Amino acid sequence: MKKSIIDELVSIFGQENVLTEREDMIAYSYDAAPVEIEPEAVVFPTTTEQVSKLMKMAYREEIPVTPRGQGSGLSGGSIPLKKGIVLSMDKMKKMIEFDPNNRLITVEAGFTTSDIDPIVSEANLFYPPDPGSVAFSTIGGNVAENAGGLRGLKYGVTKNYVKMLKVVLPQGDIVTVGSKCVKHVAGFNSELIFVGSEGLLGIMTEVTLALLPIPQHRESALAIFNSLDSAAQAVSDIIAAGVTPSTMEFMDNATINAVQNFKDCGLPRDAEAVLLIETDGEMNSAKWEMSVIEEQVKKNDIREFQRAQNTAERDALFAGRRVALNALASVKPNLILEDATVKRSVLPDMVRGITAIAKKHNVQVGIFGHAGDGNLHPTFLIDQSDKEEMARCHKAVDELFQLAIDLDGTISGEHGIGLEKKPYLKNQIGDAGIKMLQDMKRMFDPKNLLNPGKMFDMPGEAA
Amino acid sequence: MNAHISQKQLAEQHLLEATKEFQKCMQCGKCRSVCPVFKEFGNELFVARGKNKIAQKLVSGDLQITKRVEQAINECLNCKTCSANCPAGVKPENVVLRMRWYITTQRGLHFFKALIFRQLLWRKWPITLGCAIVGIAQKVLFGIGPKNPVRHLFPLFGFSKRRNFPQLAIRSAQSMLPEVSPAKNGPRKARIGYFTGCAGNLIYTNVAKSVVDILTGYGYEVVIPKAQKCNGTPVLANGDYEGAKRLMVHNFELFQKYDLDAIVVACSSCGMSLKKEIKVFIDDSPELQEFTSKVFDINEFIEKNLEIKPEQLSRLPYKVTYHDPCHMVRGQGIKDQPRNLLKMIPGVEFTEMKNADTCCGSAGSYCITHYDTSIKINNHKIKDIQEANVNMVATGCPTCVMHIADNLAQHNSHEKTRFVVELLADSMRAAGTI
Repeated sequence: MKKSIIDELVSIFGQENVLTEREDMIAYSYDAAPVEIEPEAVVFPTTTEQVSKLMKMAYREEIPVTPRGQGSGLSGGSIPLKKGIVLSMDKMKKMIEFDPNNRLITVEAGFTTSDIDPIVSEANLFYPPDPGSVAFSTIGGNVAENAGGLRGLKYGVTKNYVKMLKVVLPQGDIVTVGSKCVKHVAGFNSELIFVGSEGLLGIMTEVTLALLPIPQHRESALAIFNSLDSAAQAVSDIIAAGVTPSTMEFMDNATINAVQNFKDCGLPRDAEAVLLIETDGEMNSAKWEMSVIEEQVKKNDIREFQRAQNTAERDALFAGRRVALNALASVKPNLILEDATVKRSVLPDMVRGITAIAKKHNVQVGIFGHAGDGNLHPTFLIDQSDKEEMARCHKAVDELFQLAIDLDGTISGEHGIGLEKKPYLKNQIGDAGIKMLQDMKRMFDPKNLLNPGKMFDMPGEAA
Repeated sequence: MNAHISQKQLAEQHLLEATKEFQKCMQCGKCRSVCPVFKEFGNELFVARGKNKIAQKLVSGDLQITKRVEQAINECLNCKTCSANCPAGVKPENVVLRMRWYITTQRGLHFFKALIFRQLLWRKWPITLGCAIVGIAQKVLFGIGPKNPVRHLFPLFGFSKRRNFPQLAIRSAQSMLPEVSPAKNGPRKARIGYFTGCAGNLIYTNVAKSVVDILTGYGYEVVIPKAQKCNGTPVLANGDYEGAKRLMVHNFELFQKYDLDAIVVACSSCGMSLKKEIKVFIDDSPELQEFTSKVFDINEFIEKNLEIKPEQLSRLPYKVTYHDPCHMVRGQGIKDQPRNLLKMIPGVEFTEMKNADTCCGSAGSYCITHYDTSIKINNHKIKDIQEANVNMVATGCPTCVMHIADNLAQHNSHEKTRFVVELLADSMRAAGTI
């Protein structure tokens, strides 16, 4: 990178907020996806104006810019594919306003998601989306990836809570989209264009989120099934009975065994599946919902239904699910965590299909995830140094995505497309779908400088 | 034991062991939410995930050892917070230590480090003498108050001018206490070896005296092998694998000669190194297993074995909180025992402070080499101590005591810093038990 550009970066951000040494570039060459590309500079903005100045300079000098939060994304969305400048938002982490009367909180994009609840719980409010990385990922990253979590079935995902955004557009203009009002129809529903945009259309610097009252009561239960079909049928039966659990987590036999090898959580090794179910709300209604669930679940081939009577029992029931990923991680040196998602009605076909694919390509897989919203996490257990196994695993992943598409599902429920799933997006949305995305990208970012090469290629670019 | 291993073989061994560790990293980024050093710098290069990547690049040959690489590798407290929270079970401190040792095989050991670790610590008497001279100077010639002009000399020895030092021992604990202290009050229950550690020997001699008084008072014979040397923690943390190994082997062989039923330590890092780290330096054997299984932290030993009756303790009017040393709570899994001992003392009003188990930033020699950062990290601890509304912080690690006391003084904060075992001994002495 030219010295004059670095000097300009230093004048915008200050010496301590500009990195250019090779070792630092290595540290910003990756996120939680297995791809590495070193940028030429890393900058840490502290104000929206600095981000705007950066984009104006980037447009003048034609330098690619890749925004980044904590780098915990699983799809490679924050990897600087075309090098250039990494824009690390994690020093913009102030709480701007908490407005309990309107049940809103406004924070800077680098604010850590799990830091919201301690602030808002004092007014008996909470922020529902809880992705696996909630303790360390930033709200900006959550919005850019439209992050999900365990409570999607009842509470939805990030997009359901985004009210207003301050965004720096690729050419440096600062816009505020959305509104703090419950209803607003002034202009397009434009804040949602940025939710899930994976940093391609603009850089969010401030986010206003809707909050909900904390449910008064929570009921928890663990159901152990003798067959996969009965677990899946139980999920359908529960929904059909008119109940909406806040959580309905699934673990398959391979995951159960990995958990038991890792730490004895009291799960039977020969069970084909377990469901962890929670209901919440007003106490009587949460209890009633759970009793309906118990009734529905027991219609199926169930071995055991345990209902927690107190917090300690609840923690014991959830112990296995909490360590599931750690347990799977300890089986082999590495893992590939996917998030292909289907309608919950075809969940058994999906689970059976994944198991068959893994068997066909001789790779180990553990399946756990959010059964209520059909968002499974098939986790392939691999050794990256074994090239032959990696090749087999890639084939299995290809087939997994096709299976999800064939079942009318989606290749990504909550991790995003980024680099990892870019080759598969066309299979799901078709040529016309890709062209629409390209056209939108060109409108916002005619020179293709903001997070270029993610999600899809622009026409004329090498695949 | 690999007595004649070449530098090249040693380098390969370090790279291999580091690789085994960092290749488990899923790059999820969770370490960013817990690392005390990262909290101060906010740069990925200084968090476990970044260090793992740097190590990976060094192993693959894609990166050479540079100043910035050394800086990244040296910015680690070995506090094990990332290890304790890692979903993939990576122990990043092992990558860091292996890389420090590897760098030494390539760059050699700095002259001063070699002098300290391989000459002075090994010979021991120059350190003891040096402490005595400084100790006399502290007592006779000048205090170490914040306005003393002598502070301007501190940087000559690598210390910050702001720093407050504890009084060094004019007479070391090992010279004051006999090699064998017989059991009192009845027949001998067991023969206990006491590894004093350098701090117990040369700075906090009252801790050593407390250990001996309590154990002998409750019927144990206490042996302090006079030839014991540094356990090797500062040596291994500063990149000197071979120097640390020589010290570990020496102590291992020395303590085996004394026919001991148990070995106690009153220093969290000594305890961790004699229980665990020693296994990295000495090949596994039944003797080593027996040795490591005999080592106990003093808090752990007292809580488990001593039958302390209420009438054997006298009232101490303190409001106390407890700070968990990293090498105690995460290094050895000791959390409840020291708290239980404190709560046993009548009159002690115990308050659990917030974030009791976060690192205080001292990290042994880190607070000498990285004083400003270590004080920034410690400032969070001071805030938590002040909010606990106590008049005393108890703990079980000399460098934690030194660092917390230093920074409390810089904050003009009134809380005293003591070892749990000292308080227990005070209470027992006042009751006439020991």
